[in-house]
Amino acid sequence: MSAATIAAEIRAGRRRAAEVVEAHLADIAARDARFNAFTEVTAARARAEAAAVDAAVAAGRDPGPLAGVPVAVKNLFDLEGVVTLAGAKIERDSPPARADAFLVQRLRAAGAVMLGALNMDEYAYGFTTENAHFGPCHNPHDLTRIAGGSSGGSAAAVAAGLVPITLGSDTNGSIRVPSSLCGIWGLKPTYGRLSRRGAFLFVGALDHLGPFARDVADLALAYNALQGDDAEDHAQAWRGVEPVSLEGAADLRIGILDDHFARNGHAEAFAAVEAVARALGATSRVALPDAAIGRAAAFLITMAEGANLHLPNLRARSEDFDPGTCDRFLAGALLPATWVQQAQRARAAYRAKALALFEEFDVLIAPATPYVAPPIGQEMIEVDGQSIPVRPNLGIYTQPISCIGLPVIAAPVAGVPTPGDMPIGVQLIGAPWAEDKLFRLAAHLERIGACRAPNPRDTHA
Amino acid sequence: MPEFDPEAYARQAAAAVGLPLHEKHLPGVVMNLTLAARMAALVAQMPLTPADEAAPVFTAGRTPPK
Repeated sequence: MSAATIAAEIRAGRRRAAEVVEAHLADIAARDARFNAFTEVTAARARAEAAAVDAAVAAGRDPGPLAGVPVAVKNLFDLEGVVTLAGAKIERDSPPARADAFLVQRLRAAGAVMLGALNMDEYAYGFTTENAHFGPCHNPHDLTRIAGGSSGGSAAAVAAGLVPITLGSDTNGSIRVPSSLCGIWGLKPTYGRLSRRGAFLFVGALDHLGPFARDVADLALAYNALQGDDAEDHAQAWRGVEPVSLEGAADLRIGILDDHFARNGHAEAFAAVEAVARALGATSRVALPDAAIGRAAAFLITMAEGANLHLPNLRARSEDFDPGTCDRFLAGALLPATWVQQAQRARAAYRAKALALFEEFDVLIAPATPYVAPPIGQEMIEVDGQSIPVRPNLGIYTQPISCIGLPVIAAPVAGVPTPGDMPIGVQLIGAPWAEDKLFRLAAHLERIGACRAPNPRDTHA
Repeated sequence: MPEFDPEAYARQAAAAVGLPLHEKHLPGVVMNLTLAARMAALVAQMPLTPADEAAPVFTAGRTPPK
């Protein structure tokens, strides 16, 4: 059941939040072992929050737009009284969080019910959620394949129908990659739109937070609730609440990204873009200048900033890191300053070129991932006749976009033949602060049937 | 100019920043530094002038202190 339907039923007094939360807790207990999406289920908290919602309804108070909607968050968000793991064994030694993260507070204020914390790549440094400490997250569409990452648990929980809305983070593609591989909707808002207070940092210069959902209405419901002014996040550029609408897409000028975004992937990634372009009658192809340089800049900034954040632990206890991330962090601590500073200046120059495209276009369409979800454990993959490492290449289309903070909705594309009938998505990319246009286009694509979240066969059989 | 030697560099840079580098991590670190060097070469292709400021901009505070 969608978040919008649950909230409407509870607000109207037709269902009780307590019943909804019990049904979801039972479902998670019965099915999550297949997906390994949850690392912590906060049942007591969820029951207390559901009871508060039911009490508000009974007393005639407004229980909020997300009244009684079960939600869960990537385990890098602070949940009061819970240790924030950020996917790391090392963090098990940390004290429990003293307060909820800002966005968790926003969800709660809107009436949502927190069910727990979700699996991820260690310290968000990965695209696969093959976590050595907490186990790999399994794709609900094929349990032998990855869910993507680093917000893999967030995407798998929504795709499997365990909860209708989750939160994740996206530094280089960590919302958009798992959205694509799990066949759901994900939003990476403009850099600086949503407060990051109480979310474990990875790369402050590039970190974004955002929601996942199975339909556009739920994604909008979550996003509208998450907006709020927070003077404690110095990176937030507060513009006031700008609620998004879902009506009207005829005025939007659509461009199809070419060049870097038409190479480096498998046929299904480009077929997904073609299907959306065809559905919209969009024929203008345009190159995003220096996208490969933008990706390289993000790559270097990520290595350096991410490693520096963890330098004390890299010095003292490198053996406690996930073998999948450890060497990347160690290498990142050693980069010449010239490489990193050059990357930060190239990034600004690249942004200027990219922003010029939006004089001509409102929304740019690009692949979200270069292929469908690979099997868990796969190291290499063939692309354009070359064997390349499968994991870092998953971010080839997302990294150039988050590098300059543009808002993106990852949209699951319908009706495209793919290997194993696995889902795949596209990126709907907007100018800074143009989330509203992305939502209008996403809703249009959903209405005309070009994009929708497929039902996993394994979980609803 | 001599070619970049990621292994020799890794050992020296690790010493410079006080990072113990166990032998078992060396192949992975070398692979990642080699990849980073390729990325740095790409970034170096962007023409920049002294007027090109770095992307992050420091703010002294969003609001005056209470």
